[in-house]
Amino acid sequence: MSLSVQQRAEFVATFRFIQVFLMETIARWVPQTPEMEVKVLFGRHIWELAQQADSLGKRVYELRAPLQFSLRPVESYVQVLEEFARTETTPQKISGFYDVILPGLAARYRNYLERTDHLLDEPTTRVVEKILNEFQKMIKESETLRKELPQLCLADKNWPAHLAKPEVSVPTIVAHRPSAAIA
Amino acid sequence: MSATQNFDAALFGDGPARDERFTEKRRWAECANFPNDHPLKHIEFFHRQMNEEMNGVENAAQSLADFPDADWNVRMSMARQCADEARHVEMFRRIFESRGGQLGEYPILNFQYRIIANLGDLLSRLVVQNRSFEAGGIDAVTYAIDEARKRGDQELVDLFEMQQADEITHVRFANEFVYQTIRKDPRAALQVARALTLASTAFMQVMGSEGVGSVEYLADERGRLEAGFGLEEVKAATTQAMKRRASYGSH
Repeated sequence: MSLSVQQRAEFVATFRFIQVFLMETIARWVPQTPEMEVKVLFGRHIWELAQQADSLGKRVYELRAPLQFSLRPVESYVQVLEEFARTETTPQKISGFYDVILPGLAARYRNYLERTDHLLDEPTTRVVEKILNEFQKMIKESETLRKELPQLCLADKNWPAHLAKPEVSVPTIVAHRPSAAIA
Repeated sequence: MSATQNFDAALFGDGPARDERFTEKRRWAECANFPNDHPLKHIEFFHRQMNEEMNGVENAAQSLADFPDADWNVRMSMARQCADEARHVEMFRRIFESRGGQLGEYPILNFQYRIIANLGDLLSRLVVQNRSFEAGGIDAVTYAIDEARKRGDQELVDLFEMQQADEITHVRFANEFVYQTIRKDPRAALQVARALTLASTAFMQVMGSEGVGSVEYLADERGRLEAGFGLEEVKAATTQAMKRRASYGSH
């Protein structure tokens, strides 16, 4: 089934909500995180997340929604994000963000690319493909840091599943609205 | 004397987290303040500056988290500042370690975070962090560039020039935000004045007369104009710096 302009806007606005939520979460963690190298990594990635949110916010306007419009995802996914935001230790924060949340979100972006028509929706496709490339770079940087500082690696290798299980259990993240409700 | 004696607790919030490599002090006088001709003077400065840049990341990040309803363009600028200051941490770490320093070798101060994150609104935070501390940084870096050039230290000249370009951008967006806010609500000027008074009082409690007495530089008029200060503000900053220097010189 093809997507309407409004449905595309809803996807893009939902992705923007998530990007901003992640930006705010790791921003909140910066002063609370003891390790200098992690603060630096988060500090750099705050800007990546902000630029990604900004691109989505400009694209959503082209899809006839307000400029920089965000749409809150379905409640079950918001709960996943909020659980993630409550993560306490540095290894869990790093693993939760780079091993679970970003790959999970990347899968949802790829799912969008599979659903949308790449010719009709080429501008969104370009924004999403750029974000996916940047996610890879961000994840790689976190892996490099964990190799340099092994104390940042998780002792409990089963911990990511605790966050990943509810993340994958949410099949769709968009809380669709009645026609023309987001304009 | 206790480290926090004569500190007005209301002016300072909790400090940011640091790992066990670092030792935080609360007063300038408790740091490793080498005389200008001491061989460790510059090395220690790189370590101190690296941590101040860390405070820059922490303050911008804290404001990004604390003010989700702020204008998106201002939030973008703060997010950019997080990345810039993080890069500055790495720049100072690189030069510090390449010249023989070891992380945590010297005590650090986190007064910038303790003062700024303690302010309850974004206008006050940007006025103090960007328009006051970072603007002072533009002046200090101009002086430091000249000094590094005289010593033939091109690596440091390059570092400082890039740092200064970034700081001018940070001060500029804060100036734009402050002017816009005051245009919308002239009473915000009182908020600005109050924030500056609180920060200045807290700063003096940290630095003491011996800390500020070592300041030798004047205002960088060109840098401040580029950063969006008005001509009158720049002249006032110059006059104030000259008076300050004359006053220290007479002690």
